[in-house]
Amino acid sequence: MPTPRTSTTIAATEIRASLGALFLDYLKVSLLGFGGGIVWAHRITVEQRRWVSEAEFADIISFCQFMPGPNIIGIAVCVGAKLRGLQGAIAAFCGFTILPIAIGFWLGVVYLEHTQIPLLQNILGGVSAAASGLLIATGLRLLMRHRTHPVALLFAALAFAGMVWAKLPLLVVLLGLAPFSIAGAAITGAARR
Amino acid sequence: MSDPAAIGVLSGHLALLSSISFGGIPSVLPDIRNFVVTAHGWLTDREFANCFAVAQAIPGPNMILMMSYIGWKVAGFPGAIASAFATFGPPCTMYYSGYRLWDRFREARWQRITRAGIAPLTIGLIIAGGTVMARTADANRQSAAVTGAAAGLLLATRVNPLWMIAAAGMLGGLGFL
Repeated sequence: MPTPRTSTTIAATEIRASLGALFLDYLKVSLLGFGGGIVWAHRITVEQRRWVSEAEFADIISFCQFMPGPNIIGIAVCVGAKLRGLQGAIAAFCGFTILPIAIGFWLGVVYLEHTQIPLLQNILGGVSAAASGLLIATGLRLLMRHRTHPVALLFAALAFAGMVWAKLPLLVVLLGLAPFSIAGAAITGAARR
Repeated sequence: MSDPAAIGVLSGHLALLSSISFGGIPSVLPDIRNFVVTAHGWLTDREFANCFAVAQAIPGPNMILMMSYIGWKVAGFPGAIASAFATFGPPCTMYYSGYRLWDRFREARWQRITRAGIAPLTIGLIIAGGTVMARTADANRQSAAVTGAAAGLLLATRVNPLWMIAAAGMLGGLGFL
């Protein structure tokens, strides 16, 4: 477990954030950030409040992208933790999720209760088709960064094939490929970039 | 409507998946589809695609919402609550406790190598998530074309994705798909 002492020393060097402000600001991020909350999280945390520096924010993002889970929620948790420890993490997390989950859940249930209506089903079919395409494109865009690294491309392809064609469980794909992929990165020096 | 055994099985599996969801929750979509549609038969493919579509069309944490819809389909309101917690609980605990360690070893060589090794896998998993959802959602050639068009527009232009979602919903609503 990390020592709570570290957080107070870090927080002392930052502009002191109140728990209420963390809660309200992340509530704002959640309401503004229609889908792409990361832009608003940056704008409010770095530019307006100056709670964390540009570099620290970039570092939090790369950490969250590496860690499993909903990345954007990780940003709220990490910013809160950095500024006010556990209480800060909880305040930012609650501000960021409570309202959208409560509203979004009931709104969604109303939709899903009426999918026997052909019009609604047709709309959802279109949305689902487009959203799948957006997801594929997001992955492809990330892949572009590795286009000069055949080992990285190979492992991306293997992970894809393991899920889509072999239909293996995620745990099997990750445990089966990660050791080799990490070894590949070590040998080819991909980590030096 | 709520079945305690189903709630336990579903949220247990979701908690495992969210703990290993490198690249974000979309990377677990193929696995969760196999689990709830193929293995347990709790949802049909269409219902699964609907949960995905509704979550994408509503602002907020999309994937937590999607999992709560699935939980709600499987076991009512208690199922929804349990699924939401299973989706964000383990990762949040890991974000909180992991950040300090990460900070301390940021320059360590093993950390950079691990990152460089995991990154391609997460990318493959994200594309797999999109592909499986496209197969689940695309009933015909027209909807497959919408999937392709959305992917192409996102890669080649700066059009806000929300417009693409709205346009695709409209095409569907007008009966073109």
